[in-house]
Amino acid sequence: MEDAQVVAMLVRRCIAGDVVAWEEIVQRYNRRIYNICYRFAGSGDDAQDLTQEVFIKMFRTLNSYDVERGAFMTWVTTITRNLLVDHFRKSKQDRMTESLDTTSSEHEDAMPLSEKIEDKAPAADTNVQSRETQELVHNALQKLSPELREAVILRDLQDMDYKDIATVLKVPEGTVKSRINRGRAELARLLQRTYRQVM
Amino acid sequence: MAGETKNGMQCAEFDALLNEALDATLTGPKLESFQAHARVCAVCGPLFAEADAGRRWLKSLPEVDAPSHLVHNILLATTGYESQRVAVRPGAKASWVDAITGWLRPVFAPVLSMSRQPRFAMSFGMAFFSLSISLSLAGVKMSDVRHVDLRPNAIKRTYYETTGRVVKYYENIRFVYEIESRVREFKRVTAPPAPPPQEQNKEKKDNNTSGQPEPRQERNYSQGENQPVLASLPNDPPVVRMTTYRRLV
Repeated sequence: MEDAQVVAMLVRRCIAGDVVAWEEIVQRYNRRIYNICYRFAGSGDDAQDLTQEVFIKMFRTLNSYDVERGAFMTWVTTITRNLLVDHFRKSKQDRMTESLDTTSSEHEDAMPLSEKIEDKAPAADTNVQSRETQELVHNALQKLSPELREAVILRDLQDMDYKDIATVLKVPEGTVKSRINRGRAELARLLQRTYRQVM
Repeated sequence: MAGETKNGMQCAEFDALLNEALDATLTGPKLESFQAHARVCAVCGPLFAEADAGRRWLKSLPEVDAPSHLVHNILLATTGYESQRVAVRPGAKASWVDAITGWLRPVFAPVLSMSRQPRFAMSFGMAFFSLSISLSLAGVKMSDVRHVDLRPNAIKRTYYETTGRVVKYYENIRFVYEIESRVREFKRVTAPPAPPPQEQNKEKKDNNTSGQPEPRQERNYSQGENQPVLASLPNDPPVVRMTTYRRLV
């Protein structure tokens, strides 16, 4: 039996009041949802609360899921993303991108900071093994704007395809691709700067 | 810039192909044009390098484990039930008991979930109660089950014994007994009268040449078969006189 069919059957059983089926769904998706929340919110405690909220909302609105309209994972991710956006708005954390592309001077024709910095950092894949490095990447991710952050999380951490990401974010596929590229580039710039400060 | 054309490719086109190039799905002449443009263009070249570096940084992030009590908390918050599963760490080898349980769980899960519902428990309880009453009325004791003889003759004998006990019990019930006696009485009343047996008795008397007195019949024929025979005293009972002689020693 295919995974989609298994999930559809679990959802039907869940709607019929089967507690075991609901537990199966929770077991299947809790890790994935927790990871999205953790990478977006930045802290484990927030991620835990948000994951719980996602499942509570999912449990209440499971009737509204239509198998014909899309994959269950896309539906779950949409709920997660909506809650994350709400959480971001509520917490009023203005974590807009500290973009290195923004000019450091008031002159519009001033050179972007990224162009001033020479890329003498060691190759990325030689340093990523250490825990400290992972922490640096995680912290840099928190400095991206929510639009860019959610796009790169869904693409590079959750391996979703562009079409599904476009469905979740409710934007055209071209916009998704553009956000992903901008997010990746901005993250790289932030990390290069951080590395220079550390080293 | 977006409108510039270098090596047969505009920056906007380069930007559009950037994802395909990073996903390694870009091939052929388009890939060559893309790479040539990246080498020459001062904007697109660094953009490609940064996007590639950023993608690798992100890919280096491991998937984190959710807290062990998260599932428990979610289940409590949503259904109020606690998890029925044993938490298994990813990578930890499951025992064969867990493996078998895992295979059987999807098969028995619907039955188990239904059995947890109060109405099913109520029905099951009533069925068990009825069955236990029936067995006790039939004289079956659970302690005797282990000593049961499964030979065909023994089974047959047990069957007849049990049937006999049930019939006996049934017939001894006062209500059944009353109904049966009423039915018998009703049959007797409605049945056509039998020919008088006097002639036959007379013949019998005539035939009796033995000279012996006939045995007395104690039955009271005037009474019904099912009517009780009561002892009675006449209104003027005979006076009985008794004389007692004392013996002086």
